[in-house]
Amino acid sequence: MASSGGQVGGVFDHHVQRAVCDSRAKYREGRRPRAVKVYTINLESWYLLIQGVPAVGAMKELVERFALYGAIEQYNALDEYPAEDFTEVYLIKFLNLQSARIAKRKMDEQSFFGGLLHVCYAPEFETVEETRKKLQERNAYVARMTKNKDHYVTKKHKDAKDFRGDFHSKTSRFPAASLKTSTGNSDLCLPYSSELPLCYFSPKCTCSSGEDVDRPSDSSQDGRNSDGTLGHCDHCDSLQKMQMKTSQNSLARRGAQKALSPSEAVDRFMPRTTQLQERKRRREDDCKRETLLEAGTSSNEVMIGPQLPVIPKVDMHDDSLNTTADLIRNKLKEVISSVPKPPEDKVEDVPRSRPLKQRRRI
Amino acid sequence: MAQKPKVDPHVGRLGYLQALVTEFQETQSQDAKEQVLANLANFAYDPANYQYLRQLQVLDLFLDSLSEENETLVEFAIGAVGSPWRLSGWNLYKLPFSGTQTDPGGLCNLCADRANREYILQAGGVPLIVNCLSSPSEETVLSAVTALMGLGSPGGGSHPELTARPVVQCMLRFSLSASARLRNLAQIFLEDFCSPSQVAEARSWRADAALGIPLPRTEAPQQP
Repeated sequence: MASSGGQVGGVFDHHVQRAVCDSRAKYREGRRPRAVKVYTINLESWYLLIQGVPAVGAMKELVERFALYGAIEQYNALDEYPAEDFTEVYLIKFLNLQSARIAKRKMDEQSFFGGLLHVCYAPEFETVEETRKKLQERNAYVARMTKNKDHYVTKKHKDAKDFRGDFHSKTSRFPAASLKTSTGNSDLCLPYSSELPLCYFSPKCTCSSGEDVDRPSDSSQDGRNSDGTLGHCDHCDSLQKMQMKTSQNSLARRGAQKALSPSEAVDRFMPRTTQLQERKRRREDDCKRETLLEAGTSSNEVMIGPQLPVIPKVDMHDDSLNTTADLIRNKLKEVISSVPKPPEDKVEDVPRSRPLKQRRRI
Repeated sequence: MAQKPKVDPHVGRLGYLQALVTEFQETQSQDAKEQVLANLANFAYDPANYQYLRQLQVLDLFLDSLSEENETLVEFAIGAVGSPWRLSGWNLYKLPFSGTQTDPGGLCNLCADRANREYILQAGGVPLIVNCLSSPSEETVLSAVTALMGLGSPGGGSHPELTARPVVQCMLRFSLSASARLRNLAQIFLEDFCSPSQVAEARSWRADAALGIPLPRTEAPQQP
């Protein structure tokens, strides 16, 4: 596919802005309208070509705007590049490929001094050495990431087990507190007290933070923030996020516990009936799914958080309390099983639109 | 126009990728196929997704797409394979190398992994990628060159198929190309993945051969 400019500095096909795709299926539509394009390491480059800059002598401002994303090694105007009337074309070279990627993503289609910028990569400006370095960096990065991923996968497994151990010790405290505070709710709380911390721990294990995090960075970070994850719940309207987020969505909405850390939530908050029921249902579905999927190593399966026990046996350290708890638990099991289950936010439901909201029971 | 927005929680990602694969296999619309393949190819760029792609056998999907007539699909698929993709333990136990037209874009990524490399070489993936070198699309050719580099070992110890004379000659031609990107990549291939003797030998044959097709007998080659 010969381009009209074989020389460096000429117009290439990859400079041309493709039309936005509007025939995408709903479930895979992104947040911004985008064209259909594949980015490879060949295409990406430290060099960015910026077209559509209004010719108002704003080079300094342009460079300053781009410098927000990273250090710029060099920049210059491309006078020979075919440009529309009253616009200029600039070439900016970043010191760092990641900065270039971010800058391109953020600055493309941005308005600048009254014009819309079109930013694209310009790998044809690279020298041989630069191309070689680019490929080597990419190889090294991928090697590093896949090694880390193996680490992370095993660590997540370990963390999940640790969390389960933790909350079991917490639950023995919780029921005591709940009994003291309210008689009405306590009998409902007890069997589910173990649930609450679990669900908060699970986002820690599995969710990645940040919606706009760049490609390479969100995979193997361990510093997941449950606050951040829950915070996203209310903002996410994208179908793609719903599988994981709706589980926390319902938690966040019902419990209004967005900012609470797990331990605080356990001590202070009384779970509501619907929340408990929903969690219990989810737990049972998880168990069902486990058997269906024959999850050997659950790390690669679509498991939300640690594997939940069927019924967390809460030991009250008192026989009569235990009996009571068991009775209540069994009763609830009967009640739950007769309640029609709303569609679960499972993996299989991806193509569907949002799951039905739970009806609140007053 | 950068990466398609990713599903942030990795739990949902598998489901999303599964949905993509299903759509690709079921849809009749060429547009939808292109979109889905591009989406998958962009996912293949990020090593974080490799376990999911492995699970869903998306590699086979890319390779199948090599035999598609739609040039766009070929370009996207090799774009996915073309970027260095170091998967530890990726198992290419079945590679349906049915078509002659390969999909360099996607394979490019895959080739960086040692295990994949061995397998592709044994399974005869190299001729398929080499065929892509003659594609009309520049991106396809670039990805094919990168894929071959991924398959080779730096320092001249590459598999003989990769440094076969037609390939080296092709690279020599590319190194004189008007396109800077192609020039650079070809030069890196010749410098890093071919031994000097191979290059010299190919160069000496250059006058009379194009991709392994010899000239008529009347013009006898100049033997060194």
